[in-house]
Amino acid sequence: MILLNMFLTFFKIGLFSFGGGYAILAMIRQEVVLINPWLTQQEFMQVVAISQMTPGPIAINAATFVGYHKAGVLGSFVCTLGVVMPSLIVMALITITYVKLRELEWFKKIFKRLRLLSVGLIGAALIMILPKAVESTFALGVFIVSFFATWRWKVSPFTLLIVAAIFGAIFGIA
Amino acid sequence: MKKYNFKKLWNIFFSFLKIGGFTLGGGYAMIPLIKREVCEKQKWLSEEEFLDGLAAAQSSPGPIAVNISIYSGYNAQGIPGMLVATLGTVLPSFVIIIAIAMLFREFADQKVVRKAFSALEPAVVALIAVPLIDMAKKSGINKRNIWLPFIAALLVGLLNVTPVIIILISILYTLWETRK
Repeated sequence: MILLNMFLTFFKIGLFSFGGGYAILAMIRQEVVLINPWLTQQEFMQVVAISQMTPGPIAINAATFVGYHKAGVLGSFVCTLGVVMPSLIVMALITITYVKLRELEWFKKIFKRLRLLSVGLIGAALIMILPKAVESTFALGVFIVSFFATWRWKVSPFTLLIVAAIFGAIFGIA
Repeated sequence: MKKYNFKKLWNIFFSFLKIGGFTLGGGYAMIPLIKREVCEKQKWLSEEEFLDGLAAAQSSPGPIAVNISIYSGYNAQGIPGMLVATLGTVLPSFVIIIAIAMLFREFADQKVVRKAFSALEPAVVALIAVPLIDMAKKSGINKRNIWLPFIAALLVGLLNVTPVIIILISILYTLWETRK
């Protein structure tokens, strides 16, 4: 049953996403593009782009989009519930016990290591999408300019993407 | 039975709805706004309590903005507070994305939309690449531990190993290492 499968998939994504935002992308792509044929690579990139231009956490946006795509509003609801549920359970437990937990050596060490891992997971997302996203000279040029605009000139993501969309609509490749 | 203050619950819901609906750029962008709302305007938490919660939100699974809402909501008004805070944070994205997904099918195949996305995609990849530099600095990477993110990136990115296994192994190994 696809609804149950979607719920469990997004529950798993929610449960194993550490380090927020981009660290979760590699896993979302594995689950919804490679393991389950719910989105094409191109649709996945579109969801990521849309997530950057709309409010809210990327995992929630991806869950809502994939859910709608496969099973309408009910699908959106099921996927979003799935991705939020682990947060609710784990965070509630941590909120109640955290002050004690954080004094423990193993607890501190685990999260130090998970922070390192999340850097690796963002790297993984880049390995997955960078080669395909910059295939043409046009795309490579946009990538390089966007990179420096964000890194050096501190252009906000929203502004960058609006400019990119307009630029693409005029000069882009169909 | 404890009586809950519905006006306060509504307040919690509405505060997070506002933040969830008007913050662009994902979870991290929401944190300063959440802090201002819960510490300064509503005074549900002290600054110190908020920072403790932020550390917990970063170390627990799931979107950070959702986690910090859960923490703030719980501290403001127990479990019901936690639930309405989560709902408030998630609802705007949920509604907006459904609206976009509905329209998207009709527009996705139009030439101008495809052209726009041909520039949007590389721009999005740049947005993912930049924070990597920042995060690498903040996570305390050094010569001795850089192999861990490096190997993880290769395993997940090239060989499609699921992050689940890598995360579980890291946790178990750390527990074994710090046993006793």
